[in-house]
Amino acid sequence: MDFIITKEQLRMQKAAREMLKAKCTNEFVWEMEKDAKGCTPEFWRKMGELDWMALIIPEEYEGVGAGFFDLVLMMEELGRACAPGPFFSTVVLGGLSLIEFGTPAMKHELLPKIAKADIAMTLALTEPQTTQWAPYLISTTATARGDGYVINGIKLFVPDAHVADHFICAARTSGNPADKHGITLFRVGAKKPGIGLQPLQTIAGDKQFEVAFADVSVPSADIVGELNKGGEHLDTILQYAAICKCAEMMGGAARVLEMSAAYAKERTQFGKPIGSFQAVQHHCANMLIDLEGSRYITYKAAWMLGEKIPCAREVSVAKAWVSDMYRKVTALGHQVQGGSAFMEEHEMPLFSRRAAAAAVAFGDAKYHRSLVAQALGL
Amino acid sequence: MDFSYTADEISFRKRLNEFLDKEMNEEIARQNWEDMGVGREAREFSLKLAAYGFLGMGWPTEYGGKGLGPTYDFILLDELGKRWGAHVPLDVGYTMVGPTILRRGSEELKKEFLPRIIGGEIEFCLGYTEPNAGSDLAALIMEAVEDGDAYVISGQKTFNTECHYAEYHWLAARTDLSPEAARHKSITLFVVDMNSPGVTVRPMKTMSGELTNEVFYDKVRVPKRRIVGETNKGFYYVMEAIASERNQVFIPARLMPILNELVRYVKETHLNGKPLSEDALIRDKLAQAVIELEVAGVLADHSRWLESNHMPLTYEPEVTKIFVSEAEQRLAATAMDILGLYSQLMEGSPRVPIRGRISWEFLHAFMTTLGGGTSEVGRSVIAQRGLGLPRSF
Repeated sequence: MDFIITKEQLRMQKAAREMLKAKCTNEFVWEMEKDAKGCTPEFWRKMGELDWMALIIPEEYEGVGAGFFDLVLMMEELGRACAPGPFFSTVVLGGLSLIEFGTPAMKHELLPKIAKADIAMTLALTEPQTTQWAPYLISTTATARGDGYVINGIKLFVPDAHVADHFICAARTSGNPADKHGITLFRVGAKKPGIGLQPLQTIAGDKQFEVAFADVSVPSADIVGELNKGGEHLDTILQYAAICKCAEMMGGAARVLEMSAAYAKERTQFGKPIGSFQAVQHHCANMLIDLEGSRYITYKAAWMLGEKIPCAREVSVAKAWVSDMYRKVTALGHQVQGGSAFMEEHEMPLFSRRAAAAAVAFGDAKYHRSLVAQALGL
Repeated sequence: MDFSYTADEISFRKRLNEFLDKEMNEEIARQNWEDMGVGREAREFSLKLAAYGFLGMGWPTEYGGKGLGPTYDFILLDELGKRWGAHVPLDVGYTMVGPTILRRGSEELKKEFLPRIIGGEIEFCLGYTEPNAGSDLAALIMEAVEDGDAYVISGQKTFNTECHYAEYHWLAARTDLSPEAARHKSITLFVVDMNSPGVTVRPMKTMSGELTNEVFYDKVRVPKRRIVGETNKGFYYVMEAIASERNQVFIPARLMPILNELVRYVKETHLNGKPLSEDALIRDKLAQAVIELEVAGVLADHSRWLESNHMPLTYEPEVTKIFVSEAEQRLAATAMDILGLYSQLMEGSPRVPIRGRISWEFLHAFMTTLGGGTSEVGRSVIAQRGLGLPRSF
């Protein structure tokens, strides 16, 4: 057992942190939240030049060929900086789906473009039938017609749909709406006729959409993975996504704690720094305790995923814990930093708003606890 | 990053479990953990544990150890813990005193005590707390006056666990009595034979039935060769020992038996014709307990890894201690909620569920956030050492 982050990994994290410190200021994040696109071409290109999108793309597809754990370390930095743009959607939801389940032709076509930051991708999964996370509740249909399929249905909470060049769309090819079996994943070009977008206004100021698919035809060659096996494929993809989301949350929480501790040392009341008061110290200690637990539980699941050790339970443990942790840590961060951090333009709300969004992404704590209960044999 | 165990570690764990399957039982586990006094069974078990080579894997060969890393001791503590929350039967000596003697003791002390600790033969009891020195340990007033080749010690200790059966007292007393002496720099650690004339032990019973003790010293002569390390440095040795002690005492695996009992209970117990395990709230609470034990596990793994690789431990063991002790209390509360009306039944009562272990654990768990340092002191230590906040006391 070792907890070593290699020199190379540390170098990568440091370089990412420096770039983000320079280019991804609070003002920039704030501006991008209000911007309809949500990212600038310059910022996206800059990330591309530094090979961030190429990180986990295998070398044969012109990527760097790093492991999943490296991506997790990168996500931590992106979370720390609240970095805007479709990195998560493209690399995690699109890239990893293709690496795991894409046909050779799809991989040759798309992975080098992801690596070069030439395209964006996303996953169209959730539907309006429920207000809760339910990844197998798919009633969007893909009906066989000719040598392909026709997709009809409505998808919700599709991140970055406005900039995506390709969707991975989960549609039902057989069975009933809640069945895990009978879901098929399709690669769908975003510009195809019949696709309609409607932006949602979100708490984190990220770009999520309602996406309507009306008679959108796709060739059979665009099936990602196996016909009717999309439910199983989603299990894998969503495990990667949940852990990348945990890493983002953990990076954000680390920044919140850093800010809060710095404030507690500086801010003087009753003639003393407020950090010398036990009540404030204990808030800060609670943040550190929660953060440390989140870090190592995320690293453990990330390591297992990277090593291809089955870890559905560990992933759920991590997502449940880290989702709760991030909201607690941001709440304490507000409490320590008082009224000034309640102001709209303060750095703090960037994190507390994202904590609310991240908590429900890829399954909230309650959902993942239900999976842990199942794994316990209950 | 690597969360795996080596082949040698895995085979050690396997051998150990084969041994524990045969030799370990609930009675032995309880004799140690409940401090009713390690009796014949636990003493015999301790000797067998040593005889089969499961003690001292990480300790230096010149004192009877095998010179391998501390990982083996952590595996030992984990596997014991999974069985009724057991511990090394003579745990104060093995997990707290031994490592400090190894770090700070004279060659003579090492030769005298370490082989017997690794042999599972002797136990120590901690002699830190006094009626007016709890969280503020440096306030202790027990006096040790130099007299020839010995110190003569008088005063009172309290909450000294295991003194009613241990052979030796691991005693902190004030040796520099001059008024200008700094209170942190005038305390010395001694090893005192509990049979010494002038030592009186008065057991006190806790709300969950464990025994702890008041210990009175009336002009007890302790030879100078029984001083640990240098005189007047005892406070620092104690602080140093507390970090690694956290790693050895707050073992998340010890909570697994409670969880396993609860899982079995909710499957077997029916309400309105349905097993409790189908109740959504109960499922959620038990899942949360699993999650907390997993988080406690990685926190402990990290802190152990730092210790095993001789990296500085600052706030990390304190994080483990607070997390594990509070998770234990939450687990006990969850368990009581699940048992409902039956949660009030005590061991020995008709209809008592889970042999009364849950109601006992509930009472016992009040101690976990107090013993070995309160959570309040711990959180300030974390804030100050981990985050660099100014001192609050």
